[in-house]
Formats: sequence, structure tokens, C-alpha cells
Amino acid sequence: MRSNTLRPYLAAVRSTLTAALCVENFSSQVAERHNNPEVEARLSSLEVVVNPLTISRNKHEKVLIEPSVNSIRVSIKIKQADEIERILCHKFTRFMMIRAENFIILRRKPIILVDFIIQFMEEVDKEISEMKLSLNTRARTVAESYLLQFT
Amino acid sequence: MSFRSFDIDSLDEDILAQDELFVFSNGVEITPENASKHVKTKGIEVRNQLTRGDTANALITAIESPPYGVHTIDAKDQNTKIVMDVLNSIKATDIPSLVKLLSREQQDILMKYIYRGMSSPDLYNSTVLLNWHEKLTEVAGVGCIVRVITDRKTV
Amino acid sequence: MSPTEIHQLNFGPITAHAFNKDRTQVAVCPNNNEVQIYTKAGKGWNLIHTLAEHDKLVTGIDWAPESNRLVTSSQDRNTYVWNFDTETNEWKPTLVLLRINRAATFVRWSPHENKFAVASGARVIAVCYFDEEHNWWTSKHLKKPIRSTVLSLDWHPNNVLLAAGSADFKARVFSAFIKGVDQKPPPTAWGDKLPFNTICGEFSNGSGGWIHCVAFSPSGDALAFSGHDSVISIAYPGGAIQSVGLTSLPYLSLIWTSEKNIIAAGYDFTPVLFENTNEGW
Repeated sequence: MRSNTLRPYLAAVRSTLTAALCVENFSSQVAERHNNPEVEARLSSLEVVVNPLTISRNKHEKVLIEPSVNSIRVSIKIKQADEIERILCHKFTRFMMIRAENFIILRRKPIILVDFIIQFMEEVDKEISEMKLSLNTRARTVAESYLLQFT
Repeated sequence: MSFRSFDIDSLDEDILAQDELFVFSNGVEITPENASKHVKTKGIEVRNQLTRGDTANALITAIESPPYGVHTIDAKDQNTKIVMDVLNSIKATDIPSLVKLLSREQQDILMKYIYRGMSSPDLYNSTVLLNWHEKLTEVAGVGCIVRVITDRKTV
Repeated sequence: MSPTEIHQLNFGPITAHAFNKDRTQVAVCPNNNEVQIYTKAGKGWNLIHTLAEHDKLVTGIDWAPESNRLVTSSQDRNTYVWNFDTETNEWKPTLVLLRINRAATFVRWSPHENKFAVASGARVIAVCYFDEEHNWWTSKHLKKPIRSTVLSLDWHPNNVLLAAGSADFKARVFSAFIKGVDQKPPPTAWGDKLPFNTICGEFSNGSGGWIHCVAFSPSGDALAFSGHDSVISIAYPGGAIQSVGLTSLPYLSLIWTSEKNIIAAGYDFTPVLFENTNEGW
């Protein structure tokens, strides 16, 4: 059941990304001799930033894609069903964020990039549930050894 | 207002404003009141077609002449609801043949509504929309999605 | 059809290229501030010159077939005309007085090679010509009614009309008539009185999308343009327009091979041929 809805979801993300990733080298119209990602340039030229699109699987899992002439911004909301998943998610995104400088690939190769994002989305759910499982196992072990002293 | 917080870029007359983009995209705007009225009559017609079981025409009526414009927010919400009702009432097995019936322009509009629906998953059923999205992309290709991205005539 | 030859010149993207008249040499920009000229040598191509005068990305190269001059445009806001010096065997740059304050995005020689046009992010097109009196290349600006970066240009075969595609979703036909440089052109389908900056046509695909490419047909009586909304349109003087919506990704480049055939290439990696049957495109 789960992979049943996951497949069209990822397929939709894939085709939308393919359409959105048609970017070109575009020098800024606002600042002289600058070349900025237009999607992040505040108050810049409206005509080169186009309609953002959302793809959602349900209330908790969605992807926001904001394309522009020379850059796109992708925001992914990962499923966070309970408190533990929320904490794990927070830690995980933080882990990625402090290493953001190392994600050079995100700025270079367009086609591989689509595959990369899809693969990331496929695995991040799995990773979080695995982390949750191992966390629960650890919690159980700790609790057991703690309670052992009262027997 | 201090001179530092003054937005000098807005004084550049060459810069395209939001509503000008809409005009440049060959959009013709209708007043919000007229748009809402139009959508209301459309809703009744669609409901009649649905009760007759005429889903193909209900779909076409629902997506034809959307209330394009910068200020027609209310009419857009209403129209989206009508389209979503039609999409939800169509059997999954009928989708591929229905999508093939539509003209290129109609496919583009339908794709706009699919994305519009997916942007509010608390209101509309994303699973149904994802299924429509997949079938429509198979027929209309990624070109259809590109046009949703670029077209300033949003729904 | 002759077989395709594939030669890998470098491993990065190529942002601009131009062949010389007999296709024995090619000038390419390997995605930086240099222009490299390769010459055909047997089965391969050898690098013979590197032109490093720009200090930002080179966006456009055009090689005038008859006068054997190169013109290059760059995001550093400059354009150079390069003359080949047969004595020293070197390309010599001449800076062009563009008077633009944003990136130059595209450049094309006119068919008679006495003018060229430079598109820019400053929402103007600079039409450049050689000023004999001062012995340099100078320019006149086409400005109104362009509202965004100009992305591509194409000259009409009569050396006067100029088509421009811009990021404000419009393709336009201008007159780039320069007094003293051009002869008065014979009347064309686009109009007969053509002072500088006359707008002879303004077209749109109708669903947004920056105009990536404009191209006149060989006779100059039709204009094809391709937008970022995956629509290719063919416009005729007087305002008639036919649009072809595509199921693929947008096309970036169009070449007319005859009055009835257009080759398009773009984000889909595959060139496509369009044909005008009697019913339409």
C-alpha cells in the first residue's frame, strides 16, 4: 500500500523537476556584473522567477519547487508522524545543513541531479524509520539495564 | 521614511510589475464580481452534467475559461473546488481515455488545476491528483508542465 | 545526409560557438572568459588560438564569413571585434563602444557584415557600426519597448530589419537602419518606411515563457521563435501567427533550412525537424 502511493508521488516529482530544471546562465539585470540565483534574489526581476509548484502526497509529505531562469529551489517536507520522528528529522536536516558547502553536485549536474533528489527522497524515509527503530532498541536496552538493579 | 529604506528599484519604469506580467502573457482580466458570477453558473452546469453521468463534458465545462486575473482570488478558489469535484467523481480507469480527448490548451489548464489542488493537501485528495498527474504527463509530456510553470495566467 | 562527426574539445559545457566560412575552423567558449579557436587537422581539431580579453563569461560569438572577423560578447558588458593579422598570425581585439551597463547576452553580424547587433541585460539592443571618422566601432540603442533582458537576435536578409526575443515573453521586429551606413532598403513585407527603432511587429506565444530564440526564414517573410513555455511560433507580417505546442522540454535554437523546414534543438538533447505541410506547421 505504502509504495503504491509513493511511486506516483515520486514520478510526479521527477517530471516536475525535469521541467523546472531547464535553466541557463543568466546575468543579473539589477546589479551590474553580478550573476545571482534569481530565485533567491529579493526584489529582483519578477519576469524571470516563474510560478512555484507544490506536489503533495498527503498533508505531511510534500515538495515545493520554485523555478527561475537560472536556478531552482526545492523544499522537501519529510513525514514526521510522532515526537521521535520529529526530533530525528530535525537532527538529520541539521546534519545536512552544516555540511551544505559540500553539496557541490547540487549546483553542477542537472540530469543526475533529478535522480539524486529522487533517490534522496526514497531513502530519507527509510533512513528515518531505521533510526527510529535503532533508537527504540537502544532505549529498551537502557531501560532494561536500568531496571535490572531493582530486581 | 528614512532614505535608506527607500526602494529605488521601484522607480525604474522599465521594471515589469506583477500585473504587467499578466498582460504581457496575453491575459485579459475580468472583474472579481463578474468572475465569481460566471463560476457560480458554471458550477450549476457541471453538477447537472455530473448527475446525467456525462463526465467528459463536465470536465471540459469545469476547466474551460478559468477566472484568470490578479484579483479574482475568490472565483479561483470556487473554480478549483468545482474541478476537484469532477476529478474525484471520475473512475481511475476512465482517466487515460478522457485525457486523450482534451485539446492541447485544455490539457494545459487541467495540469494547472492538478498542481493547484496538490498545493492544498488538507482540502483535496492528493492520491487522486497524483494519479491524474501521471496519466496526463504520459499524454501531454513534460511540455505541459513547463507551460504550467511559465504561464502567468494562474488558476 | 553526411554522417555526424563528433569531436570532444573539452569536458565542460560550451556556451557559444561559431564556424568560419568553409568550416575548417571553429571558435568556442569553454564556459569561461576565453574564446578558443580550433582548426581542423586531418581527423581531429587542434587548438591554435586562445583569445583572452574578456574578464567574465563569453555569451556570444559570431564569425563573419566574408570579412573573416570575429565578434564576441560577454557578461563583462563588453564586446570585441577581432581582426586576424596575417603578419603576426594573431587575432587583434578592438573594443566596441557599447554604452551598456549590464551583461551582453548575444551578438550577430548583419548579412552585409558592416553592422552587428548586441543584445543585453540592460533592456536594450546596441546596433553597432564602424565610424570611419573616429576609426572605431560605435553603437546606437534600440530601447523602446523592451522590458527585460534580450536573449536572442536575428537579422533580416535585407540588412536593416532585426528580430529580438526577450525575457518579457515577446518577440519583436525592429528596424536597425543606420543613416550613412545603409542604403535605403526596398519595401519588404514588414513595411516600407523604416527609420531607426520602428517596431514592425510584436508577437507572443500566449502562455508566458522567455523567448529563447528568434529566426527569420531565408526569404525574411516569416519569423520563427521559440519560448520557454515549449511553444514554437511562426509569425507573419501583419500579425498572423501560428503556434505549435510541444510535449517536450523547451527549444533554445532554431534554424530554417528552407521556407518550409525548421530544425529546433533544446533541453531535450535531440534536434527536431518541423515541416510546413499545406495545412500548417
